[in-house]
Amino acid sequence: MLQQVTLSIDGAQVEAVRGTSVLDVAVEYGICIPHLCHIPSLSDFGGCRLCVVELIENSRSKVTTSCTLLVQDDMVVRTNTEKIRKLRRNIAELLVAQAPNSRAIQDIAVRCGVSQVRYPFRNESCVLCGRCVRLCTELWSARAIGFVGRGKDRHVDFPFGVRPDVCKQCQACVQHCPMTITPCDGPMEPGEERLCGKCEAQLLIAESAPDSCIWCELGVGFGCARHAS
Amino acid sequence: MPRLDTKDDLSALRTSLAAARSHVRASITVCGGTGCQASGCRAVIAALQQELRAQGYEESVHLRVTGCHGFCEQGPIMVVEPGNIFYCHLAPADMPEIVADTIGRGEIVERLLYTDPVSGNTVRAESEIPFYRAQDRTLLAFNPRIDPRSLADFVAVGGYSALARTLAEYDPEEVIREITASGLRGRGGGGFPTGRKWASCRAAPGDEKYVICNADEGDPGAYMDRSLLEGNPHLVLEGMLIGAYAVGAQHGYIYVRNEYPLAVAHAREAVEQAREFGLLGRDILGSHLSFDVEVARGGGAFVCGESTALMASLEGKVGEPRPKDVHTVEQGLWNKPTTLNNVETWANVPLIMQHGAAWFSQKGTKGSKGTKIFALTGRVKNTGLVEVEMGTPLRTILFDIGGGASDGVAIKAVQTGGPSGGCLPAEQFDLPVDFDTLAQAGSMVGSGGMVVMDEHSCMVDVARYFLKFLQDESCGKCVPCRIGIDRMLEIVTDITEGRGRPEQIDLMEELGETVRETALCALGKTAPNPVLSTLQYFREEYEAHIAQQRCPAGVCRALIEYVIDEEKCTGCGACTRACPRDAIRGEAKKPHAIDAGLCHRCGICAAECRSDAVVVR
Repeated sequence: MLQQVTLSIDGAQVEAVRGTSVLDVAVEYGICIPHLCHIPSLSDFGGCRLCVVELIENSRSKVTTSCTLLVQDDMVVRTNTEKIRKLRRNIAELLVAQAPNSRAIQDIAVRCGVSQVRYPFRNESCVLCGRCVRLCTELWSARAIGFVGRGKDRHVDFPFGVRPDVCKQCQACVQHCPMTITPCDGPMEPGEERLCGKCEAQLLIAESAPDSCIWCELGVGFGCARHAS
Repeated sequence: MPRLDTKDDLSALRTSLAAARSHVRASITVCGGTGCQASGCRAVIAALQQELRAQGYEESVHLRVTGCHGFCEQGPIMVVEPGNIFYCHLAPADMPEIVADTIGRGEIVERLLYTDPVSGNTVRAESEIPFYRAQDRTLLAFNPRIDPRSLADFVAVGGYSALARTLAEYDPEEVIREITASGLRGRGGGGFPTGRKWASCRAAPGDEKYVICNADEGDPGAYMDRSLLEGNPHLVLEGMLIGAYAVGAQHGYIYVRNEYPLAVAHAREAVEQAREFGLLGRDILGSHLSFDVEVARGGGAFVCGESTALMASLEGKVGEPRPKDVHTVEQGLWNKPTTLNNVETWANVPLIMQHGAAWFSQKGTKGSKGTKIFALTGRVKNTGLVEVEMGTPLRTILFDIGGGASDGVAIKAVQTGGPSGGCLPAEQFDLPVDFDTLAQAGSMVGSGGMVVMDEHSCMVDVARYFLKFLQDESCGKCVPCRIGIDRMLEIVTDITEGRGRPEQIDLMEELGETVRETALCALGKTAPNPVLSTLQYFREEYEAHIAQQRCPAGVCRALIEYVIDEEKCTGCGACTRACPRDAIRGEAKKPHAIDAGLCHRCGICAAECRSDAVVVR
């Protein structure tokens, strides 16, 4: 039988099934926690760090990712403190400076309150969220792609760079790649990258209620778990 | 060799060893550690063996090749007993003289004695050398006394008696209580209370449990774990056996990096010997403890020193950390409860069980007990392995043991805790070295690296060096570590190359805080420390780079200029010949000049100049 636990997220007492993650529970209850590498039903590896929350234990707070944090009885979680919003904004700024040519990443940046980018833009084509790798490995059991290299050299590739037979070119990896959604005005040329900010009108609503899901169109862009479910 | 089935077998072996060695008239100890091997101790040992044979001392003089003594810069080194005579910087050609004079006639070879660089006096006995005298050698004390490849040597100095006593007199809970009471904290960097870790592992459900010895030491300049595992592998093994008994583990792993070939070899040999003697295997020393150890080699990733990455690597997966929302004491290796401790932590365990928790906790400060080994390197006169009581002031380590600044230039800072540690300025040198104090000061004890810097070190450049190291070693899994370190490095590089902007300092501070809070593992969480601590204590150096386009230490190439002091230049032409860019012109015997446009600022001319006429501006 499924065991129910009760925990507090942003002051609200919520019930959840043991074994689910705080992120899943929060999204289900309409509490907005931005996330990128998380796909419902796949394992979470805590790579993008956007879904960080504060876990309050013995009146001390610890920052941890909500996707890897499993619910427990009497757990106290805060998802939208000033500290968390600042950390999230800084991570989103790093991401958008790295890959401005993705509407998904641009949307996340806007949702996380990034209003200026203080780093020189790069034009990377991958942010290593690992969605494709985990889809291929876990959903299709194909293991046709994986991470190769370490640190700066880390990238997603076929084994030894050659497409193996187990890859049936099903395109699931492409469909879930946040980089395949280009900004509304089309791809930005090198040197012309900028923070898009087209959706700021939507943000006015979002900003007045930063911790609640407003079914924003932003979520469609980055494949928010709430839209997926 | 007979299998040791009971505690009495072990003491019988010890007695027989003592009897067998009673006829030894004198002994010569030569360090065979990696440092001394690099300076040529193998040839010295071969020459010594030949000479002992030639002069007929093969039987009466005991030659022992030991692990690291810690004073590596003096290698190859030798200690002759009786007399505790210390010879250093040995060459094979010195051996006939040593055997004939010191062994034969009891005379001392003066020219091979150690000269203290501080006082200028020669020192005869090893124990009188200031570098050793100011230390509190507890763990390292074994190294000069035993051959690491001989279990008998270890048993002869009392080895495995702590294990025998523990198995006979303590039940596992009592062992954990003893370790908890001793106040032992993890020596690998985290400083987590060992007793508490063991208790959680013991309490975790499951019959199959593991203990792991983390010997994947990778901090630049740090080598205390290597020296312990190389010099005294059985002590580490004994600690692991006691740990396995306490937490209820049946299997253990020593994860040692492959770049430590000697440590790998000695650990393997120790495990095999222990199996032969029945100290690993089933029903150890007549108890119900069954435990075996495997030696696993690390593939060269710094991040594999992180516990979860190490376990992934042991499982044959890519060495990447995983989130620790579930602790490894509950789900570690193969998802089983696992106790992972550092080499030095394990090595402390037998001593605590032998002498008691009270003995251990009488040394140290309120929160940090016992002794700690540090690898002292950089701009001090004496470098090497230093073991001191926790709470010893930095000043004692740097000046009493280290002998102070090496080039007559004032010491500016000391970097503790490896790449994830921080730089502490001279004003902080009175701080007692313990886990909590250093953490409060913005640095950390870490695994025990200590790099001393003087006025010739640019702190911005130091931060850049460590960021580069961490960028190379980051696994790249999480965004803050992979991109955050990269961006910090980008900014620091901008600053060292003269493109820095004032607002970048604040940005870097904010970014550093973000990385510290949000990175996945301890590597990322501590990665901003070099930047944040230098910003805290040496902000004026950053500002000088940005506002005045000047590197106060004269290190950052883009911001310095080499010029020739016309009054000092003799026109010898040494610089002209050495300059790889043909940037120096001048007539013979007349002052030369450097063409700043051609100059690449390599500094070769300054090194070549015999009259110190090339100056950095």
